[in-house]
Amino acid sequence: MNLELIPLLIIVLLMISTGGADVETTEFVIEGDHEMTEHRGALIVGDATVTVPAGEVVSGPVYVIGGEFRVHGTVEGDVTQLSGSLVAEDGAAIGGELQHIGGSEELSAEATITERTTVAFESSEPGPIAAYTPVVVTTLILALVGALLSRKHEPLLDTVGAAAHDHPLISLTVGALLSVTFLSVFVFMAFTLILFPVSILGLLIGLLTIGYGIIALGYLAGQQLNIPRVGLSTGLGVVGIMVLLQVIGVIPILGDLIAGGLLLTGLGAVVLTYFGLQEFEPVSLPE
Amino acid sequence: MKLLEFVRERQWIPITGYLIYVSALTAGYYYNLTFVQLGLTDLGTQEIGMSPGDVSIVMAILALFTLVAAVSSGVLMDRRGWSTDLYMKFRLLFLVVFVQLLLTIAAPYVSTIEQFVLWVIVCSMALGVGIPVSFSFMLDFVPVRDRGYVAAIVAGLSFFVAALYPIEWQIDEFSLVMSVMMGPAVLVLAVLSVKRFRFVDSLASQHERDAFGTGRFCRPIPVPTLSFAFLGPVVLMFGVFFIDSLGFLRIIETPLYIYTSWQSPDLSVRLFIAVLHVIGALAAGVIYTNFDRNWLFFWVFGLFAFTHLLYVFHIQFGAGDTPPLVLPMFYVLAVSFYTTLNFALWPDLSTPETIGTHTALGVGIAGWLATFLSTSLALYSEGVGLSLLSHLTYVNALALLFVVTLPVVLYVHRMVELARGGMTP
Repeated sequence: MNLELIPLLIIVLLMISTGGADVETTEFVIEGDHEMTEHRGALIVGDATVTVPAGEVVSGPVYVIGGEFRVHGTVEGDVTQLSGSLVAEDGAAIGGELQHIGGSEELSAEATITERTTVAFESSEPGPIAAYTPVVVTTLILALVGALLSRKHEPLLDTVGAAAHDHPLISLTVGALLSVTFLSVFVFMAFTLILFPVSILGLLIGLLTIGYGIIALGYLAGQQLNIPRVGLSTGLGVVGIMVLLQVIGVIPILGDLIAGGLLLTGLGAVVLTYFGLQEFEPVSLPE
Repeated sequence: MKLLEFVRERQWIPITGYLIYVSALTAGYYYNLTFVQLGLTDLGTQEIGMSPGDVSIVMAILALFTLVAAVSSGVLMDRRGWSTDLYMKFRLLFLVVFVQLLLTIAAPYVSTIEQFVLWVIVCSMALGVGIPVSFSFMLDFVPVRDRGYVAAIVAGLSFFVAALYPIEWQIDEFSLVMSVMMGPAVLVLAVLSVKRFRFVDSLASQHERDAFGTGRFCRPIPVPTLSFAFLGPVVLMFGVFFIDSLGFLRIIETPLYIYTSWQSPDLSVRLFIAVLHVIGALAAGVIYTNFDRNWLFFWVFGLFAFTHLLYVFHIQFGAGDTPPLVLPMFYVLAVSFYTTLNFALWPDLSTPETIGTHTALGVGIAGWLATFLSTSLALYSEGVGLSLLSHLTYVNALALLFVVTLPVVLYVHRMVELARGGMTP
């Protein structure tokens, strides 16, 4: 599955759960070509081409987060398009509200659409300031937290940093395994809808842990600056790491691999050391 | 890694040992993965026309005979001192590979049930002797420090090749590929069996060095055969192999799952699986080397439970849809994990005096017996018409049972130790 779909999927699942749809009948079409001749319940279109043939009726609601949704027949409920492509051919009918938030749409003049709304954003191509604001804000928050943490609880960051520095391969392996497994588990949990809050909580904890890893890496980087004030050096180190993560992405593939590797190494080191509460020592083997 | 130390010091003989071990075990495991486990099913059901139930009985015979042959030869090797005699092990391996070559060439000509049963019995004898011989090579060639990584390379390479070739799991194709591959191996082993070489003499004495001989879990006290420390891993590995084969054999019988993953016509899908096998094995090697082995067991059972849960979920709610690659992805990770563990664990639970018996019992019971018993059960469940959903639900239940049982048993075992006044951690 395309990882970029995950945030949209989470939003849609949130919309479905608040809308009170039945989990048993919710269907998520991830990939391939599909014809929907009859479907009762919510339908999520992912990286797939889903067609409602002429003369066929699906109940809806339908959420388009990727791929293509082609309507020749009838959708009784609402259609919400967040991304991907929506095509309503001649004779197509959408009984509920067609809400366009993002993606491309092609609506025939002969298609019947009961109600149509568009959530318009001022600009689909944000300017450089808008584009970098989230990164800058995140960097400042992490740098501030890092500065405070290093002043109040330096041994914690020291322990995590030592694990990342002395055992990078082990940290990377543990980080990669945890992220792959838990990301899948949390996405899977989200599908059950009942465990949706647990899934969101898990993802948030995961992000916070990655943030903690970045702070620890920033602490390590700050040590190289030879600044006597540990708070300042850690803050600058965190900024350095964040800049590196952004800049290195310019190199195709390798840049992403290095950035991902850094984040996973930090994550692994945090987990291995119980968030810095215990030094990590691999088992001892005969030399 | 000790290997890097050898490279820095230009000690080429120990490095040759690594190469021999990786080549022999990779080839052997590839043969096991493709020809024996998958080719035999094809031979029985498609070529001879036996029912899945009948093939399951023959598979059970194979499992039983392999176990008996493995344990008998392992015990004999330890008692006669052959476990530490590298030249004797080369001779035994030559015999094993030679018999397997003849069996491989003969396989496409097997046309009756009687011939098939006879073929299977001879095959099980060769496999049984091959287990303690090949697994005990770890003692001679791989230092304790590097066993996790070397095991990972063997597991990763075998699965990598098996995932890419052959595409069709049919006995004819297997037979041709295997015969061509085994010819040179037989020649090399024949030479090593009859002629002494200085570098082999040097390799043959490596097990006497502290870095090589005694396994990781036998320091400072050797692990006795009849002990919790040995039998516990045997039971756990039995569970792992059993769960794997029980689920996998039914999944590969389902076109929707097999043609979108392991036998996909799309090369990129098979390449994805092959590369993932290598990554999974290397990750397992890192974890085995740096953590307690129980963590690896825990990961394996957890991964299997999650994988089967994904399959069950997809069967229930994604009926007919192309399954996402995340399903085989987790399966592949779990398989690479436990295979790496299997290669490293038994030699590390052994000393030079017990390696024949321990590898035979470990691989024989946990590997072969579990695999073929579960294969038989999978074929039986298919024969009686049990749905894939019900079948995988049982497999998932078994995996979850192990996930829960493992920490409980370890905790209780520690409690018992403490109650008896034991102070060891």
